[in-house]
Amino acid sequence: MKGNKSLISQEMTAQRKHLVLFAVISLALGAAMVSQAALLAKAVQRVFVQGDSLSSVVGLLCLLLALMAIRTLLAYRNGKVGLRMAATAKTNMRAALLHNLIHASIPSTIRGQTGEKVSIALDAVDEADSYFSQYMPRMMEAAVITVLILIVTFTQHANSGFIMLFTAPFIPLFMVLVGMKTKNKAEEKYAQLAQFSGTFLDSLQGMVTLKIFGQARRQQAEIERSSLGYRDATMGILRIAFTNTFMLETIVMLSIGIVALELAIQLLVFKSLAFHTAFFILLLVPEFFSVLKNTGTAFHSGRTSMGAIKKVEQLLADTEGEYMSPKDQKGAGTSDGTVETSKTGPAHAAVISMPPSIRLDHVRFQYAPDSFGLETPSISLGQGENIAIVGKSGSGKTTLLHLLAGLLKPSSGEVLVNEIPLSQYDEAAWFARVSYITQHPYIFAGTLSENIAIGAGRRVTRAEVEKATEEAGLAGVAPQLEQGYDTLVGEGGRGLSGGERQRLALARAFLKQPDLILFDEPTVGLDLHTERILQRSIATLAKSATMITVAHRLYTIQHADNILFMDHGRLVDSGRHDELLERQPQYAQMVDVQRKGGLA
Amino acid sequence: MNELTLLTKAMIQERKDIILSILGGFIAGIAGVFLFSASGYLISQTVFAPPLYTLIVLTSLVKMLGLVRAASRYGERLYSHRATFSVLSRLRTSFFGRLIPLAPGILNKKRSGDLLARIVGDVESLQHYFLRVVYPPIVVVIVFLATVLFTSSFSFWIAGLFVLGMLVAALIVPGIVLIGQRKIQGLVRQERAALSTEVAEVLYGFRDLKVYGQLKKREKQLEHASAALAARQQRAAGHLLLGQTMHAFVTFFISWGVLASGAYLIRDGQLAGVFLAMLVMTSLTVFEEAAAMATLPAYKQDSEYAAKRLAETVPTSDVQPSHPSGVLSAEHGVSIELSGVSFQYEDEWRPALKDVSLRISPGSKTAIVGPSGSGKSTMIELLLKLRAPSEGDIRLNGRSAKEVDETSIWQTANVVLQQNHFFRGTIRENLLLDGGEYTDAELYAMLAKVQLTNMSLDDAVYEKGENLSDGEKQRLALARAMLHKGRLWLLDEPTSSLDYVTEQRVMKHLYEQATGDTLLLICHRLIGLEGMDQIVVMDDGMVIEKGSYADLMEQKGYFFKMKQIERQMVGEAGEQKRMP
Repeated sequence: MKGNKSLISQEMTAQRKHLVLFAVISLALGAAMVSQAALLAKAVQRVFVQGDSLSSVVGLLCLLLALMAIRTLLAYRNGKVGLRMAATAKTNMRAALLHNLIHASIPSTIRGQTGEKVSIALDAVDEADSYFSQYMPRMMEAAVITVLILIVTFTQHANSGFIMLFTAPFIPLFMVLVGMKTKNKAEEKYAQLAQFSGTFLDSLQGMVTLKIFGQARRQQAEIERSSLGYRDATMGILRIAFTNTFMLETIVMLSIGIVALELAIQLLVFKSLAFHTAFFILLLVPEFFSVLKNTGTAFHSGRTSMGAIKKVEQLLADTEGEYMSPKDQKGAGTSDGTVETSKTGPAHAAVISMPPSIRLDHVRFQYAPDSFGLETPSISLGQGENIAIVGKSGSGKTTLLHLLAGLLKPSSGEVLVNEIPLSQYDEAAWFARVSYITQHPYIFAGTLSENIAIGAGRRVTRAEVEKATEEAGLAGVAPQLEQGYDTLVGEGGRGLSGGERQRLALARAFLKQPDLILFDEPTVGLDLHTERILQRSIATLAKSATMITVAHRLYTIQHADNILFMDHGRLVDSGRHDELLERQPQYAQMVDVQRKGGLA
Repeated sequence: MNELTLLTKAMIQERKDIILSILGGFIAGIAGVFLFSASGYLISQTVFAPPLYTLIVLTSLVKMLGLVRAASRYGERLYSHRATFSVLSRLRTSFFGRLIPLAPGILNKKRSGDLLARIVGDVESLQHYFLRVVYPPIVVVIVFLATVLFTSSFSFWIAGLFVLGMLVAALIVPGIVLIGQRKIQGLVRQERAALSTEVAEVLYGFRDLKVYGQLKKREKQLEHASAALAARQQRAAGHLLLGQTMHAFVTFFISWGVLASGAYLIRDGQLAGVFLAMLVMTSLTVFEEAAAMATLPAYKQDSEYAAKRLAETVPTSDVQPSHPSGVLSAEHGVSIELSGVSFQYEDEWRPALKDVSLRISPGSKTAIVGPSGSGKSTMIELLLKLRAPSEGDIRLNGRSAKEVDETSIWQTANVVLQQNHFFRGTIRENLLLDGGEYTDAELYAMLAKVQLTNMSLDDAVYEKGENLSDGEKQRLALARAMLHKGRLWLLDEPTSSLDYVTEQRVMKHLYEQATGDTLLLICHRLIGLEGMDQIVVMDDGMVIEKGSYADLMEQKGYFFKMKQIERQMVGEAGEQKRMP
């Protein structure tokens, strides 16, 4: 995080206005509480002790009702401010997270657990809500109102004030103790708890296996057993919490009792106190303790919230600094037309002579210290050439492709495009010239037509889409769908087969007419139709472009102008197929072993 | 609301704890009311300068009440939570029971993981139904009735005022909250789900979006959606806050009413003045006890929503799965015959199998090959009666599969699926899943056969076998199948994560054991199929070629061409999959 400032304090600074508002409203609320008690005591005094008639206290009663209304309104306002603060904080936090995730470079996306990131962006941010909507207002109320009530009590009857002052600290103390003790106990039992709650999900997931092995009914008994175990373990924790609450309530009751007894003695024995003062204090004391007790409840929800905020902070810190400079990006992002004006790089966008030549200049790359590393010598790839990257799985082929695409930034060395470092090109302008066909193209939730048109990066006509679809051998699919090109595909829509996805990616490329094609050739599992289309279409696309393929087919390798041979993260050698066969026994072995395996 | 009936049934079974918690809640509530009333009375009494002992008796009473209140509150909490967790356990068990006949129907969809997590979550949110929806009103009503009874002995009118206030607090305020809440909550859920899907999509499709220059646009969309969601959530919470505020005002208003009418009644001689402070305190306390009523609608809605969703995912229609009497004999290899079999998944738009006809003679070895998505795995699901064909008939040993008891099929079949589940426990437990009896020596011999010599039977297995590699899982699944001793082998890409050498070794043992058995193997690679009696080639849900290896190679058809492409493969095929 920038300046090591926590998210909470950032929000607090940004929303200082709301904090001041909290304090002011809380003060007013406290005043209303005290006045309400005072008027109520006064009214009872007048009616009961002095025997006044209803008509003579009408004014007093009206004032009391007005105060009650004001008090509820103030409490409502405080709640509203809390909610607004929470909404602003959530929006800010989520925006920061999304910004970081979206501007992250590939490694953080690869490193993973997309599900977990989604959960943090949604659930953890939502959980942060109660810190601002519950914890903050309650704490502020507790700080302001308790002090106010104490001061008033001291002015009225110091003894009661002292009793309250001495017993009050027990409450937050107990709350914290409860929290800590349950936390320790909970952590102790955490593994056990996770096991219990996991069994249900585990069993649901393994239902088919359980059925086939004839164990489904037995597992049902197991679920019951583990659920009851879960209950007993949880009850163990709750028992501690409840016992502490019991102690706490006893303390509150006792202090109220002591205050009442002391008041009675003062009234009766020393006759040093007026009835209405005593009743006033008796009304104030429960209010005092109830405000304190509220902080306890708020404390718990606040803690859960803080845990969630920690998670958000962690993810922010993990994704921070993986892109150049957020300020610049943000500036460039405000309007899409700023391509020419921002930084120095974009100047090159216009002068890329296409298709490009590419030079790798002693590139090194590492995902993280001590992890897989990649290393290349200096090597040139000519304009319009057809390049194949070959190597065993895990040898760094895809990483090299990502570096060439500019999706990863080298740790040292440079990727030069037309002799200018790739990092100096404007990202948008660069990607506008590139097509990347992955093994598993992503189909977005949208219509078939939209999914193809995404390739163009501009508005395209239906005719253009249809032409690209035709060229990619996908034209047969649209008529099969009930709404043709306007049928929803992807998440929540119609599913496409692996071959169809691959052809859809080709259609995107046909629409884009790229100058650089990056192609991760699929391995097994494609249908023959797609295989044929793939070979034909790729050849067409490659006519006017530089093409770099992570190759798995001998045919592709044999037709390549230049082959980059990778082994254990190193670019070992490059050349044509027959040259490598001659020079690199490892290469010859790799190409050969597979074919023998196939023939065996 | 079928699920809520289920819930009610589970609650009735926990009636002892429930009655105890209601009792505890009642005592705590009424003790609270009396506690504050008594202290109000105590103060009022002092005006008349009573003898000191009355005072001492009264204060002791107040303290006693305080203790009783705290103690019964403790009991209430303990029993109500116990009941809640017991109900939860019953719910889980009964849901699992109902899901058994439905698997894999609802489990095979694209996002089955999400679905299952949702079922788990929904069942868990049903637990609030008792704790926050069913039982607070019961306690509130009883406490309130007792208070009214108590108050009516002092003044009929003030008791009437209580009744009026209670109607507003228990019915009108929650009613208003519920009306507004219903609409907003629905929208919040929708928007939240949409945002979650969109965030996931941006992350999953990150690389494509980046290359196509769509990220900035997506970021803006997401920011908008996120802000809109926060605003909507704020409104929903504001609505609940309004409910709480209204409740607070009703509380104050009734106390005020008690004071005003008390003043009138005292003057009128209908009420002794000494009770005024007491009644004011009573009203303040009894309505505070009812504060839970204001938030009840939110929980009620959550529970109802969860129940509705569960009812949708887990249909309750009790179509009793018929248990046909036919038994699949395990004495000899099984014969299989498919005639005109078609099948379509519920959420798919085109059939997975189209008019498939196939004969597999007893004791023969058949390989099914074809591109991914051509319907190979569906065939195994149909043979296992995990799903029923939409059209056509499957005959096992000459008998229609409809007439054969599914458990006897599972008993006879040694199955390895594409996704094999492993449960939390040990290797031994996972191998002996079917309750088979083997000595450790025999089990170790089996592990050796599947090339897992460095594994101990006591090694821990995590949930879903998360601590096992794909290759280990496949080999354990093969071992599990080989220990099952059936005579029908149904193997769905059982070695896709193994390297060529290991694959050959494992399969050699398997073929030895399977001599004379019927075997059906789905292959992802076309290597080592020369010895198969029959190779079935599938594409797009149809059988497009079948015959022996030599026949198919001679025909120079689909299989031949697939084989040619595979021979071309370099670098990836035949190696163990590893992360980049």
